[in-house]
Amino acid sequence: MDKVVKEVSQEIKGAADRLTSNVSKVIVGKKETVELVLVALLCEGHVLIEDVPGIGKTMLAKAVARSLGCSFKRIQCTPDLLPSDVTGIQYFNQKASEFEFRPGPIMANIVLVDEINRATPRTQSCLLECMQEQQVTVDLETVSLPRPFLIIATQNPVELEGTFPLPEAQLDRFLLRVGLGYPTEDDEGEILSRFQQENPLDNLTSVIEAEELLEIQKLCRQVYVESSIRSYAVAIARATRSHKDIRLGASPRASLGLHLASQALAAIRGRNYVIPDDIKYLAVPTLAHRLIAKTEAHLRGRSVGEIVSEIVSTVSVPVEEQR
Amino acid sequence: MKLGWQKGVLYVAIIGMEGCWLYALMALLNKEVGGACLSVHGMLIVYPLAFVFNMLLQHLRCPKACIWGVSWLAWALSMLLIVKVQLFGDLPLLDSAWLLSVPRSIAEVIYTFRPELLILLGTGVMWWLGRRLSYLKVDFGALVSEFQFGLLILLIAFFAASQLRVELGSSVPMVLTFFLFALLGISIAHALEGTSWLSGLYQGHWSGLLLITISLVLLLGLLISAVVTPGFLQLAVAALKWFVGLILKLIALIASLFPEPEPAELPPATPMPEMEPSEVFKMWTVPESVRSGLRIGFYVLWLGLIVVALWRISSDIFGWLRRKLAGMAGAEFESLPGAFRADVLGWLKRICLRLLGLRLPIHLGARTRAMLPEIASVRQIYRQLLRWATAAGWPRHISQTPYEYLHALAQLMPEAQGDLDLITEQYVRTRYGALLLTEDELYQLRQSWRNVSQNKLRKRGKYKWIK
Repeated sequence: MDKVVKEVSQEIKGAADRLTSNVSKVIVGKKETVELVLVALLCEGHVLIEDVPGIGKTMLAKAVARSLGCSFKRIQCTPDLLPSDVTGIQYFNQKASEFEFRPGPIMANIVLVDEINRATPRTQSCLLECMQEQQVTVDLETVSLPRPFLIIATQNPVELEGTFPLPEAQLDRFLLRVGLGYPTEDDEGEILSRFQQENPLDNLTSVIEAEELLEIQKLCRQVYVESSIRSYAVAIARATRSHKDIRLGASPRASLGLHLASQALAAIRGRNYVIPDDIKYLAVPTLAHRLIAKTEAHLRGRSVGEIVSEIVSTVSVPVEEQR
Repeated sequence: MKLGWQKGVLYVAIIGMEGCWLYALMALLNKEVGGACLSVHGMLIVYPLAFVFNMLLQHLRCPKACIWGVSWLAWALSMLLIVKVQLFGDLPLLDSAWLLSVPRSIAEVIYTFRPELLILLGTGVMWWLGRRLSYLKVDFGALVSEFQFGLLILLIAFFAASQLRVELGSSVPMVLTFFLFALLGISIAHALEGTSWLSGLYQGHWSGLLLITISLVLLLGLLISAVVTPGFLQLAVAALKWFVGLILKLIALIASLFPEPEPAELPPATPMPEMEPSEVFKMWTVPESVRSGLRIGFYVLWLGLIVVALWRISSDIFGWLRRKLAGMAGAEFESLPGAFRADVLGWLKRICLRLLGLRLPIHLGARTRAMLPEIASVRQIYRQLLRWATAAGWPRHISQTPYEYLHALAQLMPEAQGDLDLITEQYVRTRYGALLLTEDELYQLRQSWRNVSQNKLRKRGKYKWIK
């Protein structure tokens, strides 16, 4: 039994390594971010990439989509984008004399929703059903989305003019929020070198097929989570609800997301069990975007990420007690 | 080999071992306190019967309390049956005399120990052992424990028999049978663990060698039993007596060289006046029942004093050993303050709870979920590491994970980083992954902990390690 589990974890690790190295041909020096996107992919979550322009958010999403060999669609959000532009429409086919459903760009395995905060709240809301229930309802007709289904949304936190902040319900549906950050000096030099002749994205081939991905997603759920680790994740989520600087704490969906993400991270790192380091590592990317800090904390210049880190540093890790 | 067959042999081995020491014990008690009127073989049937009966009961889909009740009811019936057959064979079945003999023997226990009581206690113990065996997870550890315990009981029984001048009869075949079952059971259990040479390439050779060794041991035992006969022993004792007599004669010869002292004359003894007991003395005469109670209390007091004295002496011996070991190079002694006291208190608490029946309905027949020894060892080693590091001024913060703490420890002892890595890695595997370590991995882990602890000893002065 142990041997089988070990083989399974090695299989997942092998697939993760293949994907990471493939994406790294385009995205230089951002292994951790790629790993987090992969975590979301393996637990059927969605990713919000938040960073300043020109960092490579869209490039990352495209590289992941190309590496997966799945269908890929892109939605460029603008204030005049309508929900029907995303979900699709029912139109009257005069030849057939009946209404037919024309699917929108959401009907793909990987959907890049670029600059999501530029869409109006009405359009943003049409994504709620897609993200949580993996289906769309158009004119009383409900259509299931293809599996695997992953939304990679990007947003620019700096340029806020003409944007609509994402509501909490929407943010809570993103499993992870990641940032890319500026590359180091060496990495930036490497980027220039790689893009000198041609765009490496054009030569990117798929390394994992959709069926294999679905199988890996199932296997990730079998990663062992010891009861004390589960309690540790719950303790962190509960601590956010009583922290003095937090107005809105983490939801049960957040703790569930942390639990699932830790399983995926463990599998990616070649383990068939979750350790406290996984939970700690994922606490900020999983929880920070779901919390609302109090105004006083904002005025003191504290970010939600800092507050989550502080919470994690106060929660007791389940380790052997000294007797 | 099929698993069922192997398990069956292991059960037979345990039954054989326990049967041997039970036989020795029961034979001794039968001759010493039972008046040698009981058939030990007849009583021993209860033990395998209890095992089989309780094994069958486990397949019933009944509440545990119900199974427990049925099991002990069956014991009561079998005990009464043995009383009837062995002591009251001539009485009719419906005669109340033999039925009342058991409670009567309990009531008269202060004054006399009757054979009925021996049957009650003996069959009770055997039934409990058989029931315990039916729930026992039979593996290598269980076989070794049974062997050690059985050997101890056998030695105690033989020692007691020699002191009380009780002839146990078939002691040699009993010992040989005990060792036969023990060797057979332990070797098969070891092979079943999968780490034995019996499961390797040369299992045929080794199995043959094992059988030859067992045969040789048995032959040697038979040879010794043939040579060391009572006549031989009497001859040896006579030789010893002659030698002692020779020494005494020599002492007498030396003593005769010195003059004897003249005996002093003693005054005649004064006769004691005859005194009659006063009325007050008669009034305050303590009744027999109170005196019995006081006597029991007195014995308990003595027993308590002996236990306390043993505890004190043991503590002193351990203290002396500790001082001695502390002075040896490369050796260390880790104190466990309060561990013995905690064990004794835990033991007493368990007994009290059992007697009060508090845990009985809940845990009846249930196997306690004890931690596996491999996991317990790993966790114990990590706990020791934490304790040592805390004493050195590097306590683990509550929010530190084992790997984060490893970085801190590596700063403390960079030369032991490999060993610390291994200890942390294995701890994480067993603690969070519930993975069992192999024998080799456990050995490596213990070796690493030894290296780390020796490293710490060398740095005692530098880092102020725990004394």
